[in-house]
Amino acid sequence: MKDSAQQWLVDRALPPGMLACGLRRPDGKFICHSAEESCPAEKMEKILGQFESLRAAVFTDNPAPHWSTWNFDRGQIRIVERADGWLLGLVVRADSITAPNLDPLSREFLSVQFGN
Amino acid sequence: MATLKTNQPPRQVLFVDDEPDFLRVVQESLTPLCDGQWEIHTASTTDVALETLKQQKMDLVAVDTNMPVLDGVQFLKLLGKRHPDLKKVSLTAFATEANRSACLTAGAELFIEKPRSLDGFKSVFAMLDDLMNWTPQQGFQGMLRRVGLQDVIQMECLGRNSSVLEVYNEHVFGRIYIENGSIIHAAGGDLTGERALQRLLALPGGSFELVPFEPPPQITISGPWEFLLMEAARVRDEIASQTVPGEPEVDPKTLAAPEAPSVRVLETLICSGAGRPLYDADCANVAGRVTLLKNIARHAALLAQIVPLGTFDRLEMQFPDGRTIAQTRPDRMVFVRVANEPSGT
Repeated sequence: MKDSAQQWLVDRALPPGMLACGLRRPDGKFICHSAEESCPAEKMEKILGQFESLRAAVFTDNPAPHWSTWNFDRGQIRIVERADGWLLGLVVRADSITAPNLDPLSREFLSVQFGN
Repeated sequence: MATLKTNQPPRQVLFVDDEPDFLRVVQESLTPLCDGQWEIHTASTTDVALETLKQQKMDLVAVDTNMPVLDGVQFLKLLGKRHPDLKKVSLTAFATEANRSACLTAGAELFIEKPRSLDGFKSVFAMLDDLMNWTPQQGFQGMLRRVGLQDVIQMECLGRNSSVLEVYNEHVFGRIYIENGSIIHAAGGDLTGERALQRLLALPGGSFELVPFEPPPQITISGPWEFLLMEAARVRDEIASQTVPGEPEVDPKTLAAPEAPSVRVLETLICSGAGRPLYDADCANVAGRVTLLKNIARHAALLAQIVPLGTFDRLEMQFPDGRTIAQTRPDRMVFVRVANEPSGT
């Protein structure tokens, strides 16, 4: 049986152009959905780890961003971090219809209540 | 821009795209526009395209940039070797500076965003028809492409030139004034200043011409051109996020667009690719920002190794009260921090 976080991710996972999406819980457990061999779960975890490494290097004395978007010529990586420790990672193709919808999805993630 | 009917045989135009739906829309949209002056061929793979080129001499090939196996850039290079006299155009669903640069370097003569409306197809038809009829002439003329127009502005500013860019389509006429490498005024429709510049740069199609400088009626724009162009791209993205998919972001008749949230620039830093500061405005900790930019470039390189998304352009960070944009390119790094302004200010 899926918990609320899993269900939230399943409901939003992999619209056209989204290559992968992953959710890391405050306890470190990780859920991922991937549509492409080039972006499997282990790569999503590495991406989130990379963000945490940058945050540790850059935002120690400053507030971390609500979300950050790494823009490449063929796609975007969106990382959204909540104050309670939940972390969302999304990888989308640059020319997809999903790319412009990342902001509403990020806002929803920041406000949604996940059960324990 | 109308095509004159002549007794000449129809132009042979080949569209290469891995999306059959797009090729179908190309046929359906362009056939009535070209009125028999073009013969339109389509190929859903590069193999089919090469076979078609063996059988029929083409006047122009339009190549999708994002295709599997052999992508658009590689295919353009191949075409350049096998068919050096063929006119080549890149079509893309998402224009980025890196993509544009790669396609033009690979031999494309135009880099055009894929049309998403009938007006868009009309613009593309006019551009391609002009390209096939084009012969070199004195002075500079060009077709409006979002990134291409930015490119010309960038060239004029880098060269510290003085000129006026006249931007037009069948409904709107606008002017961008550049003096000694600085953008000093823009006007189009009922708009002037930075907003006019932003809307002209976001037009879905049209033409532009570089004409000799003349003093503008007023000075409405100041600030570094790098920031102005980056801000124009940001505003265009903001507008796009509020636009119905398939609709042009800016009305090609009036330059009207949904209002993007207004912002106040708090801090700007422009550096060379090596991190040497070239310009800063209100940047309290230049060394710290340079370190941050270098850190971001390093992390972006690591991310690019993890997932194949191409060349890194910029990192945008959204904070509760504003956003930060950090662009890192081999030749230039830019850091801009802006604050959200309450609506109506």
